[in-house]
Amino acid sequence: MSVPIEPQSQGMSALRLHRQLAAIWATGPGVQKLAAVNHSVLGMRMMITSFVFFAIAGILGMLTRVQLATPHAAFMDVETYNQVFTMHGSMMLFLFAIPMVESFAVYLTPKILGTRDFAFPRLTAYGYWCYLFGGTILTVSLILRSAPDGGWFMYTPLSSHVYTPGLNADVWLLGITFVEISALSLAMEIVVSILKMRAPGMSLDRMPIFAWYILVTAMMMIVAFPPLILGSILLEVERAFNLPFFDPTRGGDPLLWQHLFWLFGHPDVYIIFLPMAGVLSTMIPVFARRRLVGYKAIVVAIIALAFLSFGIWVHHMFTVGIPHLALAFFSAGSAIVAIPTAIQFFAWLATLSHGRPRWDVPMLYIFGFFFVFTCGGLTGVMLAMVPFDWQAHDTYFVVAHMHYVVAGALAFPMLAAFYYWLPLLTGRTAVHKLSIPAFWLVFIGFNMTFFMMHLTGLLGMPRRIFTYSGDEGWNGLNLLSSVGSFVMTIGFALVAIDILVQLRFGRRVRRNPWESTTLEWAMPIPPAPYAFASIPHVDEQTEQVGPGQLAASLARGEGYLGFTRNGWQEALGVHMTSGEPEQLIVLPRPTYLPLITATVTCVAVLAMLFKFYWLSLAFAFVTFGLFIYAGQSAGHARDYGALPVGRGVSVPPHTEVAGAPSWLALICTLVANGTLFTSLVFGTFYLWIAAPNWPAAVTPQPSRLLALVTLVALAAAAATTRGSLRAAAAERKPHGTIALTALALGVALVADVMLINGVMPNPREHALGATAAALLTYVAIHAGVGLLFLASNVLRLGAGFISARRLTDLRLTRLWVDYTLATAIVALGLVLALPGLVAMLGAKP
Amino acid sequence: MNGRPLAPRRLWWLAAGFTIWCLALVILYALHAIGCAFAWSAGPLRVSLAIVLLLHLIAIGWLWRYRAAARRDSGPEPISSFMHSVVIWTLIAALVATVITFGPALLLTTCV
Repeated sequence: MSVPIEPQSQGMSALRLHRQLAAIWATGPGVQKLAAVNHSVLGMRMMITSFVFFAIAGILGMLTRVQLATPHAAFMDVETYNQVFTMHGSMMLFLFAIPMVESFAVYLTPKILGTRDFAFPRLTAYGYWCYLFGGTILTVSLILRSAPDGGWFMYTPLSSHVYTPGLNADVWLLGITFVEISALSLAMEIVVSILKMRAPGMSLDRMPIFAWYILVTAMMMIVAFPPLILGSILLEVERAFNLPFFDPTRGGDPLLWQHLFWLFGHPDVYIIFLPMAGVLSTMIPVFARRRLVGYKAIVVAIIALAFLSFGIWVHHMFTVGIPHLALAFFSAGSAIVAIPTAIQFFAWLATLSHGRPRWDVPMLYIFGFFFVFTCGGLTGVMLAMVPFDWQAHDTYFVVAHMHYVVAGALAFPMLAAFYYWLPLLTGRTAVHKLSIPAFWLVFIGFNMTFFMMHLTGLLGMPRRIFTYSGDEGWNGLNLLSSVGSFVMTIGFALVAIDILVQLRFGRRVRRNPWESTTLEWAMPIPPAPYAFASIPHVDEQTEQVGPGQLAASLARGEGYLGFTRNGWQEALGVHMTSGEPEQLIVLPRPTYLPLITATVTCVAVLAMLFKFYWLSLAFAFVTFGLFIYAGQSAGHARDYGALPVGRGVSVPPHTEVAGAPSWLALICTLVANGTLFTSLVFGTFYLWIAAPNWPAAVTPQPSRLLALVTLVALAAAAATTRGSLRAAAAERKPHGTIALTALALGVALVADVMLINGVMPNPREHALGATAAALLTYVAIHAGVGLLFLASNVLRLGAGFISARRLTDLRLTRLWVDYTLATAIVALGLVLALPGLVAMLGAKP
Repeated sequence: MNGRPLAPRRLWWLAAGFTIWCLALVILYALHAIGCAFAWSAGPLRVSLAIVLLLHLIAIGWLWRYRAAARRDSGPEPISSFMHSVVIWTLIAALVATVITFGPALLLTTCV
């Protein structure tokens, strides 16, 4: 392949550059819109989709309030009510809150970082389609009256096959896991993009605070989602194949589900809060007209908050019978998590008090947030105290607290952010006549709805009840709460009308109407598909100029990559800490592959749902195949060396550097995967120590020989991947060593499958066998995926995508096989140790 | 830019202090569960928990001392200085969190 490497003529006019870039970056019209991979398009779609789910979930919430407005209401029967309140919670959390914050991150992060797109645009698109399809499955189940009905946290044993024999729980487990694929994929690419694709010169200390928040949140998602994904897989396996992970009669434990759920569930609150706090930290300095106070302290606080939020999952389980001493760990942790939150609050207040604040619509919502979130935080500290929690647990007090922290932390900053960034999206600003009454209706309605729930909770009203007798003293408060929910809904409807009116009649605004200092305003509004005609260099000078003036210079192509070359979608990769330009990243063009792959994944999920397991497996393989197929066109089939990127700088393409985005992406994937594996190991130990009916009647006797063969074969595979790398680096053909790696992985796979077949006790009879089978299956799947890596390597070697300078593929394979070996040592070691562990249980009193 | 850029591996330091906090939580929680399940007497269990806590405090304290005493990483001054102070403060925060979260709890009845 021979293509020119010099950029097309420099010094072109802004309009000409715009036309050339738009021709490369724009998504096509009509049906081609389905091929979109651009972050602006997908971010907007996610935002709209999440709002549709918000509207549906909001209506469901209203229905519950209608039912509870008066005692003995016959508005809904109990089955319908169970589906409605379960879907309200599930949709709000999984289909609105998380995707909404992600949509903000998708739309804004590249722009705020001064880059043109995310590192993996096709993954963004795949994530979006998975989200849409997963959400649609859940919504359709509601229409068909087969929606989940066991509460939004699907506690076992209620959600087990015995007590929920229909599809209801399967819809939740499969639909939500499908949506989580989307969340994880987006999280990974957000981490990679923030660390590798900032504007040159944007060192970490210069990074906008919003990016710090989003970076930490995305890292939290990478670690928080896998425990729930594992829990969902185990519960679905229990429901589908009768492996008793959560069945106490066969050595399982329902509390294991609670641990896995809340290991995700508690950090999730902060996953929702932190991006919105990032929004606040971005907006408050703009309206205060001074720099954010305590930038460093906030960075420390959000790191602390991220970790502390993981360590307090048990505070949702204070009433399950854990000894006091252990409860005290989680109680203290739950209380001190308020400190890093308070640091941010005081930094915002200090910024406002030291600045010259001006009022506008976003500020109204910011003050709404301050009020609501402070109330929620205070009740959070109350619930962190074990004796109080014992009294208030499972009452409406918890429902009130939860809405104040989650809804308050999300809804008010989100609406502030909408009003703040709508001029960027539309070029117009809000009509104050509508937006101010809309705020007051939302604020009054919100507090009227949820404050009353504190009181009904303290009066003893349990959550999830379908109706009440009327003599408990809850009547008036419930009625007020229901009226409040209608007031709030009218407020949200007015916000929606305001936004629609703005699109048509809003006041046209000049660029950077808020006089912000972040880079998303240094572009045409609404943004062009390429975001920046040229990429800015960030230094003291740029920071003083401001985005408004910078925009004109960037539009003229005076930054980096202010030209077109080969029709490539070009962006810059930078050094992770300093932000120095390091590589030229060539991004993929619009393609239908993400839609096709997500559709195939959806078929696999639906086949699983309707119990066509072989079909599901087949479509899962097709999904993997499509990923390999997508990889065939990634990168370059020739070496280029250093290419000019403007401002006198030349850097090699991402295919020829060690720190390519895909390398960091695989590390993120393995961190997520490692968390899932750690959760599985935790589950095994948890059942060993806590589950009733251990030990089993049959003692496990795993074959040491087969375990040894598996480990030796995996070690051989890891060694031969190094041989492949050395061969390719020395410009020799690595096919021989790749074949050896494939052989070793094949041997490991066969030996591991034989181990699974010999697991005792029978995995269907006791959780001991089920956990051993799960650990061994984990190893088998990873060895199998290793073979797919090798298949991809062979295809890409044949197509010329791998050379002595382009070794990323082989390095990725080596990393994957190393990870497989490391986890296999732990998994097989644990399986071999199980007989000894079971024997130890004889010493239990 | 002046000097060599700060190595990306230095970013792991941002997580060091609180990773040890998490480790302390997991080990203390697991040890306590094992001790209670196997009916260890209160004294040895409490001492074991205290030793585990102390080891984690020493680990974070040592990291704090090591980072505070170490010269700032080579690299451009602003980013090097920024990373240095953020790492130091995360270590201090982790140390304080470890003391508050786990210290007083060890005085409670062990397995009730």
